[in-house]
Amino acid sequence: MSFMENLVMALNSLKTHKMRSILTMLGIVIGVAAVIIVVAIGQGGEAMLKSQFTGSANTIEVFYQPSEEEIQANPNILLQAPFKQEDIRALQQLPEVKQVVASSTTMSAARYQKDSKDISVTGINQSYLQLNDLKVESGRNFTTADFLGGRRAALISNKLKEELFKGKNPVGSIMTVANQPIEIIGVLEKPTGILSFGSMEVYLPFQTWKVVYGSSDYTQLTIQAASAEQLQTAGKKASSLLNKLHNTENSYQVINMEEISQGIGQVTQIMTLIIGSIAGISLFVGGIGVMNIMLVSVTERTREIGIRMALGATRGQVLTQFLIESMTLTLIGGIIGIFFGWGTAKIVSLFAGWPSLVSWQVVAGGVVFSMVIGMVFGILPANKASKLDPIESLRYE
Amino acid sequence: MIQLESITKSFLLGKETIHVLDDINLSIQEGEFVAIMGPSGSGKSTLMNIIGCLDKPSTGRYLLDGQDVSSYNDKELALVRNQSIGFVFQQFHLLPRLTAIKNVELPMIYAGISKAERHEKAERALEKMGLSDRFNYLPNALSGGQKQRVAIARAMVNNPKLILADEPTGALDTKTSMSIMNLFKELNQEGATIVVVTHEPEIAEFASRTIMVRDGFIQPSEALDRRAPL
Repeated sequence: MSFMENLVMALNSLKTHKMRSILTMLGIVIGVAAVIIVVAIGQGGEAMLKSQFTGSANTIEVFYQPSEEEIQANPNILLQAPFKQEDIRALQQLPEVKQVVASSTTMSAARYQKDSKDISVTGINQSYLQLNDLKVESGRNFTTADFLGGRRAALISNKLKEELFKGKNPVGSIMTVANQPIEIIGVLEKPTGILSFGSMEVYLPFQTWKVVYGSSDYTQLTIQAASAEQLQTAGKKASSLLNKLHNTENSYQVINMEEISQGIGQVTQIMTLIIGSIAGISLFVGGIGVMNIMLVSVTERTREIGIRMALGATRGQVLTQFLIESMTLTLIGGIIGIFFGWGTAKIVSLFAGWPSLVSWQVVAGGVVFSMVIGMVFGILPANKASKLDPIESLRYE
Repeated sequence: MIQLESITKSFLLGKETIHVLDDINLSIQEGEFVAIMGPSGSGKSTLMNIIGCLDKPSTGRYLLDGQDVSSYNDKELALVRNQSIGFVFQQFHLLPRLTAIKNVELPMIYAGISKAERHEKAERALEKMGLSDRFNYLPNALSGGQKQRVAIARAMVNNPKLILADEPTGALDTKTSMSIMNLFKELNQEGATIVVVTHEPEIAEFASRTIMVRDGFIQPSEALDRRAPL
């Protein structure tokens, strides 16, 4: 008797008791969906955390943390921009470094007509645009001419548009930043996701920033490595070069990514373990439900089993029939669970601005695992069916 | 065709051994139409189950078509039931959720016959039973006589040498009973060996030989070679 015939038979028998089949499946659906959701969101979160530390385009941030002695020697050191123009030129000489992106941020007052807001003003260079996706909602983005000529042009965040311009289109208006007139050329898109709150920001070409604030030093510095493998080396070389240039011991640092990814890995492992055991318990309970219903089904169909045996079904064929039936039940439950979990994960990530990853391994694992549950919990009822005495079964009312 | 040699069957009920069949010796030739009669509790059902390979004798030898089936295991017996024996039951024993044609196809599924061939053979068997307009009816939608015809079609579809009928007319009215018995007679004339278990003398009259079972023994026969009046 072929597998397909068994499958058709199983589907027919499940169809006969639709309500019962659906309710029995529910345990498996919920269990599998829970696993899919948790794994999808967990993996998405892990990917997001890692990309936050490593940057998406092989970038690594260099930060400045002065030692106690340095702070004692110069109490204002934390207020000064730690990266000089020469530093950037020196860093660009390193073979592992593809690009140096530096920017400077300071807090200032922005004024438009009578209103005034405290905002953060960031001076950026052209490579900043290549690595940070500043999407313009209305107006236009910076051009090379803006950077080279130090044009008094600004991009403002959506939040600032709402607060300072009360939602009116500000493109083309002149506002003052640190008492300097600046023309607004574009408004940035609203950041997506419920976890990111828009802040009031202004971006200026670095040449303009230099003129407005009278400083050519940078507060943030990010280097882009030529390749992912060179990222760590590039970071180490860059920090030691900066320490040498500034004659400091270990004030310029990069994040040690190995430690971080290990840390993230550990957290994920613990999370997976906890969720895994919860999902395991729910699938176990679902499996017991399947076993229960299959036992009922075997008892109900005692006569059918007797008839089949009289017509020449071997015990093995009866066992296979019921095993395939329980596996079909859990497999359908598992597939519904996968779709349900996948959809839920997508919806969650849509609202949370948190990516979800449903890998094919997880889907394949869900399919295989739900079939295994059907097999494990179906073996007892199927065995019971196959051990029935044909004569007794034929007499069963 | 059927040769039973010193067959006994006993059960252990508590500490007591109950002998249901005691030293049965019986031989049925190929092409015979035999009725097994006896009061309830006489052991005729057990005898029928042993002949049908649903049960095994406690001692003794059972040769079916020359093969010693008393030594067969469960799997081999299933094959014998599938290939060599067709069953017809008092309560029809059709699967209620399968249509008439699917019911007839069942033994062929276990025989491993392809779908197309199965369908064609089942159609022919049902046509022969005069049910060509009832292929896709569920058993519930059929009358008692039609159900039994479907059951007979199912019993003969694998071309078994032996058809075993256990009170085949027990649930039918007299007129239908007669037409069902005439069907068995036709099958017998086509070469099938038929064994009918019954307690109705009118039914037994269709057979060419009647075997009386009483208290686990076969009664010495006084009614050999009696032909039923048609």
